[in-house]
Amino acid sequence: MHNWLSQDIVEVLESVWANEERGSSAVAEISQEAKTEVTEDLLAECEREGYLTRNGDGEIRLTALGRQTAGEIIRRHRLAERLVVDVLGMTLEESEADACEFEHFLAQGVTNAICTLLGHPRFCPHNHPIPEGECCRQIEAQVNSLVASIDRLEVGEEAKVAYVSASNFPRIRKLSSFGITPGVPIKLKQKFPSFVIQCDETQIALENDIARDIYVWRKSDDL
Amino acid sequence: MSTIVQIEPKKAPIPKDKIPRLLLVGNPNVGKSVIFGYLTGKYVTVSNYPGTTVEVSRGKMKYGGQEWEVVDTPGINSLAPQSDDERVTRDMLLDAEPDVIVQVADAKNLRRTLLITSQLAELKIPMVLVLNMMDEARHRGIEIDSKAISELFGIPVVTAVATEGEGLYSIFKSIVHAKVPNDPLEAQRNRALANEDFLQVLRPKTDKPLPLQLAVEWLQTQDSGFRRGAELWLKQVADGELENDAATRTRIRNCAARLEEARNVFLEKSVSQYKKVIPSVFRESNGAGLKVGMACLIAGLLLFAYTEIGRLVGLPTPYGWLNSLMDRSVIPGALSFFQNIHLGWLGSLLFGKLADDGKAYETGLLYPAITQFLVLIAPIMFPLAFVLRRSERFAERLGHWTRDWRTGAPLMIVILLLMYEFVGVIGAGTLVDALENNVFNVLLTPNLQKLIPAGILYDFFVGEYGLVSVGLTYALAIVLPIVMTFFIAFGLLEDSGYLPRLAILSDRVFRVMGLNGKAVLPMVLGLGCDTMATMTTRILETKKERLIATILLALGVPCSAQLGVILAISGSLSGWAMLTVFGVVLSQMFLVGYLSSKIVKGKRGDFIFEIPPIRVPVFKNVWTKTRYRMKWYLKEALPLFLLGTLILFVLDRVKVPTPWGRLSGLDMINNSLAPLVTGVLELPEKTAQVLVLGFLRRDYGAAGLYDMVGQNLMTPVQIVVSLIVLTLFIPCVANFFMIVREQGTKKALIILAFITPFAIAVGGVVNLILRVLKINF
Repeated sequence: MHNWLSQDIVEVLESVWANEERGSSAVAEISQEAKTEVTEDLLAECEREGYLTRNGDGEIRLTALGRQTAGEIIRRHRLAERLVVDVLGMTLEESEADACEFEHFLAQGVTNAICTLLGHPRFCPHNHPIPEGECCRQIEAQVNSLVASIDRLEVGEEAKVAYVSASNFPRIRKLSSFGITPGVPIKLKQKFPSFVIQCDETQIALENDIARDIYVWRKSDDL
Repeated sequence: MSTIVQIEPKKAPIPKDKIPRLLLVGNPNVGKSVIFGYLTGKYVTVSNYPGTTVEVSRGKMKYGGQEWEVVDTPGINSLAPQSDDERVTRDMLLDAEPDVIVQVADAKNLRRTLLITSQLAELKIPMVLVLNMMDEARHRGIEIDSKAISELFGIPVVTAVATEGEGLYSIFKSIVHAKVPNDPLEAQRNRALANEDFLQVLRPKTDKPLPLQLAVEWLQTQDSGFRRGAELWLKQVADGELENDAATRTRIRNCAARLEEARNVFLEKSVSQYKKVIPSVFRESNGAGLKVGMACLIAGLLLFAYTEIGRLVGLPTPYGWLNSLMDRSVIPGALSFFQNIHLGWLGSLLFGKLADDGKAYETGLLYPAITQFLVLIAPIMFPLAFVLRRSERFAERLGHWTRDWRTGAPLMIVILLLMYEFVGVIGAGTLVDALENNVFNVLLTPNLQKLIPAGILYDFFVGEYGLVSVGLTYALAIVLPIVMTFFIAFGLLEDSGYLPRLAILSDRVFRVMGLNGKAVLPMVLGLGCDTMATMTTRILETKKERLIATILLALGVPCSAQLGVILAISGSLSGWAMLTVFGVVLSQMFLVGYLSSKIVKGKRGDFIFEIPPIRVPVFKNVWTKTRYRMKWYLKEALPLFLLGTLILFVLDRVKVPTPWGRLSGLDMINNSLAPLVTGVLELPEKTAQVLVLGFLRRDYGAAGLYDMVGQNLMTPVQIVVSLIVLTLFIPCVANFFMIVREQGTKKALIILAFITPFAIAVGGVVNLILRVLKINF
């Protein structure tokens, strides 16, 4: 719904949200936080569109509509950060630019898919909460997440590799040279003393540190 | 965008004026060496790749009047190197300018195969793909559409079962038809980079076509050696510009991720297209034979367990019965037969003889080794091989049992006991006795002693520290049989696929010491020969691991010769005393391992590797490996034995006038060590000499100790203390030289300077504790 929102309004809504998270609603802080120049015109426009209200003391608050809109923007941004950090293996500094880009082109459906892909993470890499989406609320009903790291699987369970969380890049590539890459079906054969997974025609032994890095789609009747 | 990666395919040129070069490339354990052996015959040289310890075999091949140079490269999982082995292969592909690449692949693992093929395709070198191990693929009901793969890449694809010789000649024939492969990923790659003007990020250094995806992958690693490939192509890397350019690094990473995804999509698609799995029909026999085999196996295991326990508690065992049967009827018959044909010495060499007093029995080469083998080893080995061959399902289950700790731990004990029976009892016991008593001490040395007149020559060859009477006898009569039986056993374990399972079971233990389960291989090999094991620490990934493993081998792992003597001495010690020895040594290994894992800088390597299926060892493989290792032993270790004896001889002969009279070098070393040995360790003075001998060859020392124990010179506590010190003590000369070679002189000297006082200190502390607690065993 906010695809037609101007970049400036998006920035304002994001900073108001972040400000409210910190328990503040001062205009001055919002101006400081936003990556765009917060002009009187811009705030007035936001108010006119019904996203926020201002009172005489210079306090800014999100309206219900504003809260919903900003929540979705924030959600996309923080999921994008998770994606960039977990799946692409970048540092937070490096990721900032990319996360912003993602935030703008992720469509609703994709956002939920990525949220599911990442196992419905609750916090972004900066440890800010990620607003829940439709998919997260549905998942609460299910006992098990669709995406889980291998160490959460049961012995004998079959799954499909979703992504490898990149605590270090050589590890990802090593796993990929053994054939463990997104989309590959695997079967957990053993958990102790070391993990053993079957992948293609090959059995691969892993230590638990590595098993924890491999996120898989669990087989579910819904899929 | 296609201009970025468009590369003119070159023709397959074979210059007339130079010998064309062929590189064998592929995953580890796919049969490259077998194919290499077939192509080259016996004209092979093995050498280290410059600047590394990775070994590369080269040979010559002739086909159709053309001579080729063939190079067998170390196994790789990817051309983006993660280990030294992979780096060497990558560098050879870039530097050696191969005219043809033969990629050898495991047919059943098509994905990993095509990963490498698609990487090689970027290098634009004529190639052939060999899909090896087709038999295993067939057994699993896997069918590979090799024709379609051949069309996809535009290269010859040969199917083979190298171990059986199937398809080998086709490899020969295919080589002249090698073609520059098509790059099926080109379109995907261009699409993945559609939004990334790559050449603005990376500037090529030359007009040589850029292997784009490989370059990006090489750039991902921090290690400068691993990035080297990128330097060849990219100016910025060569100039070091990229190091501080975070923005460019981020863009490269984005590209890498996109390219990787593109390749994954391609691999998925190809595998699903070219590999068909027909629900596998297990190669099960029709039941009856299998059941008999299983029954025999279980009976063999029960017999083994009964004999082991029976011997421990003194019950009559089948082993005893068989021996007395042999003693009564078979052996006397055989001996008199040999006497009748005037080959009495051969008879007693093979079957042993009664000692002169008519009571004690001296062993021969065949007897009682043969009864030991028949009762304890054969009843398990043969049914096991039979059942494994008959039933794929049993092989799979056994594979499972050996890696699950609940079943794996008991099976490990059985396997180690079997190994002990073979190496410890047959090798170190029977064979050593037979060689020593019947050949060296009866035939060789005394006859030489008769021949050589007394004097310096006599002493040099057959005297107290004589080259023959001591050096050669120890090397060939004592150590060789042990090392040989050990290498046979190790080869069997290696080829059966058991060793990786041992790594799985022990990973957690090794992690305490800053290592991972892979370290179990050098450790077990160390029980055969520490020197060779030090060399194999190369299989460990990081420098830190290699250093720690080297220290632990030098410190605590007794080699087979030493272990043999320790076990022989154990006869005169109580179980508790032996437990103390092994307990102290093991705990010190843990302690030192733990501390060095904290002190040594660097990282532990990731524990991840492929587990091969359990299979019946191929005799030829085991034989080849054992032969290779024996040759190595004779070439590398035997001269050091002789050198050690020579040093001893010289030290013993050269006498220097001192305030305490004329003393030999040996006396001086012994005298300087003596206060330490008698004071701190409270051992007989003669033990000092044993320790000196121990450095020249650790097992020498052990053997010297064995003599002292035999002469009742020591109390049990003294034996325990000296065994501990000797085991912990400095590695033998050969081991020390190997540490220098692998780790450099500085580290080797530090290790030496640490272990020597440490061993003595531990011995002193153990002695003190035992005395204070008044434990006399």
